Amino acid sequence: MRRTRKRVPCSEGWVLFDWDRQLMDLFSDSLVIGLTQHAPLILAAMGFALIYRLSGLINVAYSETITLGAYIGMWINTTFDLNFYAILLPTGILSGLISVATYLAIFRPAKMRNVGVLEMIIISFGLSIFLRHGLQFVFGYPLRFYDVPLPDTIWVLGVGVSSFRLLALASVVALALLLYWFIQRSGFGLQIRALASDEDLAQVSGIRPLFVTVLIWFIAGAAGGLAGAFYGVGTAVAPLLGWRQFLFIFLVVMVGGVRNIGGVIIVGAVAGVALAAMTLQFGQALYAQLVLIVGFVLILKVRGRRLTEAAKV
Amino acid sequence: MNLDWLDAFLLFGTFQVVMVIGLALLLHLQLGLARIANFGVVGFWAIGAYAFGVLFTKVDWSIGEPWPFLISMLFGTVVAGLAGLLVGWLIADLEIEGVLVGTLGFATVVAILVTTERGLTGGALGMGGLSFPFDIGKTKANELLWFGILFVVVGAIFYYVWRVHRSPYGRLLIAVGDNEPLARSLGKPTFQTKLWLFAIGSAGMGLLGAINGVMVHLLIPEGIGINVTLAAIVGLVLGGTARVWGAVLGVILTVGFFDIVVQSYLPLPRSWYTQAIPVLREMVFGAALIIVLLVRPFGILGDMRRDKLIRSTHRD
Repeated sequence: MRRTRKRVPCSEGWVLFDWDRQLMDLFSDSLVIGLTQHAPLILAAMGFALIYRLSGLINVAYSETITLGAYIGMWINTTFDLNFYAILLPTGILSGLISVATYLAIFRPAKMRNVGVLEMIIISFGLSIFLRHGLQFVFGYPLRFYDVPLPDTIWVLGVGVSSFRLLALASVVALALLLYWFIQRSGFGLQIRALASDEDLAQVSGIRPLFVTVLIWFIAGAAGGLAGAFYGVGTAVAPLLGWRQFLFIFLVVMVGGVRNIGGVIIVGAVAGVALAAMTLQFGQALYAQLVLIVGFVLILKVRGRRLTEAAKV
Repeated sequence: MNLDWLDAFLLFGTFQVVMVIGLALLLHLQLGLARIANFGVVGFWAIGAYAFGVLFTKVDWSIGEPWPFLISMLFGTVVAGLAGLLVGWLIADLEIEGVLVGTLGFATVVAILVTTERGLTGGALGMGGLSFPFDIGKTKANELLWFGILFVVVGAIFYYVWRVHRSPYGRLLIAVGDNEPLARSLGKPTFQTKLWLFAIGSAGMGLLGAINGVMVHLLIPEGIGINVTLAAIVGLVLGGTARVWGAVLGVILTVGFFDIVVQSYLPLPRSWYTQAIPVLREMVFGAALIIVLLVRPFGILGDMRRDKLIRSTHRD
């Protein structure tokens, strides 16, 4: 912006003014759209980061937790004729339970058998594929939709936003605060952090690893399921719903989740705003995704090298 | 030539099986020996196919057959190899998370570019105009000849992989997979090794993609989903990631069962084949990955066989 100021002569001040306003508009538009449209991304990334930080497991099947959340929400919504706000609680609980079930049925036995990190990823990949296709036998092949009345449009900073998306943003903020409090301040959080840093020591200190781990998988699953419900109500419910978001969730956690959950939230928000801004600029959402993927992978590359250099010393 | 005995489905299914065997063999070097989780197989496969297709159909060739075809084929292979070099450079010094994100990201980038660059790739409509470089009569005869060519290519890949196992380069790959810092501290250029591994492996995957593109005649974005990667991984894991024959055996048991036995020989209602069978196929593949890695992590064939000297050091 400063460069433009220098180049534009003073007599054409109005051009400068106009350009500045356009930039401000773009900024506020993408801020509102990015935060509301990509709020589920932040929510899902928080859940993914919890499991990743606790056990170091890259759970590819987390994308199916999201998809299942969307399907469960749709099923409750259309079967019991409940409105969208009422389905959120049961959706979160059911998704959390399914997430715990996958842990107990697959990841825990795998850990007992000392399966390597690489094999663990392949197992979660297999589970992801299995669930993604299995749910088509349960819910049918065609796209499914939530049966909800058209959401109210609420104007924020001159941008119309659907009430569902604002609710998604609100629940992300609430859940983020709750999670932050839970992990950093509560007794359970202390146990979780202890378990994540040194399992043996935690066990010796009287922490029950199974209980804490199950708790984490439940919270992560609930967050993923809610994210799925918010994704699903915005568009349609399809088997690939979660998988389409997985790469972005993964990137956000990799880039932001080095230190704590706060980093995930910040990077998630930045990614959402950047996606919205680039989509507005290019007029093509796919290019925005492209730039984001390349940019984040480059960040990982640069940082990765610095970490290994440090590790050599 | 009378080819009535040959079922078109059978030929196509066998073609798919042999092609996936080629992919799994190349993946075996990366996943089985060097322990690099390449989840972007489909990206390299697709970039080879599309680079070949773009050069072959969009350029106004003034030289006669078969040169345009051969040059395009070479172009597809080289482009895939260069992409492999780039991705290899990006991920070679990253942890396993970085490798996963880099390879998955690459496959996604390819899928995005294929959809957006309509002028080159035809976008969602697909890219047609890919035809055999020869014409020896009926379609089936042409396809059979093309299958023969694929068979030779995959045979060459098999020979290469088999040679790698018995070469210093192969032992270096195993060392990199086992303990990279150790290999590096002994003076081995591990970064460079990984780079070359990716470049050569990706070039091979690109060539297979181009060959497959000619067989199917039409490249569409739906064709480059994660299921290609899955087919290679599940075959390799079932057969045994650390063994050369693992890729062959595993792919025959998985892709072969579904694309040949179920497709041609089981008396199932026709309506199942459009939706239920493909979905069931992926589901079974996913379950197979979980079960094999939990019950028999080295696959059917087991861990790799090492020569006497290395075996003696491992015995304690």
